[in-house]
Amino acid sequence: MVQPKSQRIIFLMFCILPTLLLFAVFTIYPLFSGLYYSFFEWSGSASDKEFVGLSHYIQLMNDPIIPRTIIHDYFLVVTKVIGIMILATFFAVALTQLRIKEAPFYRVVFFFPNIMSVVVIGILWAFIYNPNLGFVNAGLEAIGLGQYTQPWLGSERWALPSLVLPSVWAGIGLFMLMLMGGILNVPKSLYEVAKIDGATEWQQFWKVTVPLIWPQIKNSILYIIITTLNGSFIIVQVMTQGGPNNATHVMGSYLYQQAFKQYNFGYAATIGVMILIISLITVMIMQFFLRKEKIQY
Amino acid sequence: MNVTKSQKMRWMPLFLFVAIVLLVVGCSSESADSPEEQGSQGGQSADGEISGELEIQYFVGGYGDAWWKEVIADFTEQYPDVTVIEHAGPNINEEMRTRWISNDPPDVVYIDGAGSSETQMIEDGQLMDLTDWASEITLEDGSPLLDSFIVEPNRHEGQLYTLPLVFDTWGMWYNAALFEQEGYEVPTDFESWMNTMTEIRDRESIEPFTTTGQHPYYFLRGVLYPAFASVGGDELLADLVTGQEGAWTSEPVLEVMKKVQRMQEEGMIDEGYAAFNHTQSQMNFLLGQNAFIPVGFWLPNEMANDIPDDFTFGFIPSPMQEPGEPYRIVPDLRPLAIAEEASNPEAAKAFVAFAFNREFAQRFSEYTGAIINLTGVDLTGNDQVPDYLKEANEMFNDPDQVQINSLPHPMSADLETPISNALVALMTGNIDAEEFCERAEAAAADYRD
Repeated sequence: MVQPKSQRIIFLMFCILPTLLLFAVFTIYPLFSGLYYSFFEWSGSASDKEFVGLSHYIQLMNDPIIPRTIIHDYFLVVTKVIGIMILATFFAVALTQLRIKEAPFYRVVFFFPNIMSVVVIGILWAFIYNPNLGFVNAGLEAIGLGQYTQPWLGSERWALPSLVLPSVWAGIGLFMLMLMGGILNVPKSLYEVAKIDGATEWQQFWKVTVPLIWPQIKNSILYIIITTLNGSFIIVQVMTQGGPNNATHVMGSYLYQQAFKQYNFGYAATIGVMILIISLITVMIMQFFLRKEKIQY
Repeated sequence: MNVTKSQKMRWMPLFLFVAIVLLVVGCSSESADSPEEQGSQGGQSADGEISGELEIQYFVGGYGDAWWKEVIADFTEQYPDVTVIEHAGPNINEEMRTRWISNDPPDVVYIDGAGSSETQMIEDGQLMDLTDWASEITLEDGSPLLDSFIVEPNRHEGQLYTLPLVFDTWGMWYNAALFEQEGYEVPTDFESWMNTMTEIRDRESIEPFTTTGQHPYYFLRGVLYPAFASVGGDELLADLVTGQEGAWTSEPVLEVMKKVQRMQEEGMIDEGYAAFNHTQSQMNFLLGQNAFIPVGFWLPNEMANDIPDDFTFGFIPSPMQEPGEPYRIVPDLRPLAIAEEASNPEAAKAFVAFAFNREFAQRFSEYTGAIINLTGVDLTGNDQVPDYLKEANEMFNDPDQVQINSLPHPMSADLETPISNALVALMTGNIDAEEFCERAEAAAADYRD
């Protein structure tokens, strides 16, 4: 029996209403309230707020730490995209194309960090980097490279690069599975045809695999960019708190410092607006560069 | 233009969405009940008894909550008509933030721990002016409370908004058992400290001094404040905390910072300290990776489960002074206050007055290994109080050994943060003492503006 159109619409509204409500409460409302607070001087603990117009945006332009936080964020974006995509692609291809008996076991091993809290990962790696008790320096000493030991997270030079390794380690598993899903959907016949035509394994990878899993690669890259710009705050907060001497502050951790340590909630909201704008622009630019004709087979 | 029914229906989801957004915004905190609308939940009953609900917010950190539980239990026994609602925990300052913002705060607040700031709360008008009322409070022996503090309460423009409950002070911890076993001398001034650290560095092959670089205020408050007090007293401390022009580049401050630079250059400071949070640095200290650490009295209690069997706590005030000078301490007071918008101010006042009691002060030292800010509390005969605390208490009561200095109020985070960053740069060897002073002076100039 065909339902009347109005009944179908009511049914659809009933289905999407909870989602719309949650979206409004947890996305739209915070978005606009963040924008609203950016025009006020507010300590975050008082009910009184003073309207200051655009002065926080002027302060943002003149804050010498802001450019550093943006550079740090993009450093993490670039290194994470390169590190995760190379390793995740390598392992995805290895676990799908090569006949590795223990492949299911490795899948679990690589995915394991994804089920761990970022806070736990941060604490774990802070111990690994501990210059007195940690594994990294001890390992370097053990293999005769003692001259390269560092106070990794305590060094203004090395602290930010040191954050990349745990982030990459924690990210490989998820993206490996995403890419594996794509690779397993590529028809075997295409590889057989390529082989008959004399293509090497390397050529098969670049000419068959990569084009056909491009949607997964593109989505992975965009996802890494978005999660890094919005989420690298956690690993920074746990491992270095933005230090030493602001050497690892990212936009999110600086926002947190302004809000919860210096009680400048209005300015912190302004930084939040900046993060939103930068994230949107970055994703739009990346979508432009990553656009490619969809390949049908 | 005619609009068909199906066209109308197409726009329906959008209308519905906008309606939801407006509804959510309309129901935001602006519509929260005002205190007047909520009405009083208790107070003094017709017969003058204290009654109703009393909400207390207290931070639970290194000192635990056993003392609070006991005080609250005794209070409810004395005031059976009062129902105490406790808001406590290590993150309680953040958890209660929305209550303060919406003008629905708890009645009593103990200001301590991350996310709390006495100065900020006073500036925001959140705390009750206690000036007149506090002058009437007496202790159990009838002595006025205001005459019985070890350290005077902070006053803001002459008014009293908080009463200093816990007398904490930062000082230098060492492993007394190791020192006795190896014959290391307990330092009495900066030069003897450097000598001891040199001996430890060479014999134990460790960097003797550690602190937390993630929270540089440990070094600022635990080492630099006493050092500044030794060269300039309360006046210099006040100038530094309030960011007076020229204070951070003054000769006495430079002299102190050169001592810090010397510690760094001579390899006394743990090379990795800048990355440590406070528990990591404390753990390294307990594991013998370092010999000295500046922390408050909460250290033994906080690390109680991680203390090696052969470890004995030794405590001295930070030895930054010149030979022949007394040690200096700058106490870090943790106050009690009553919310300006307290629902039950009478019960709140009764509780605050009740908490200041010398018997509770004894119990506090037993539970926490720290001191309540009251004079006349004799810990010497109390077997439950740790030895280091008895020794420290004895030192604090001897002006020839220790002089007590004080700040006018805690340093604002807007000034402390950039100074902390410069301090990390100095202590990791990236800048020298002169550059530190210039950066601190620039931060003070920004703060004044």
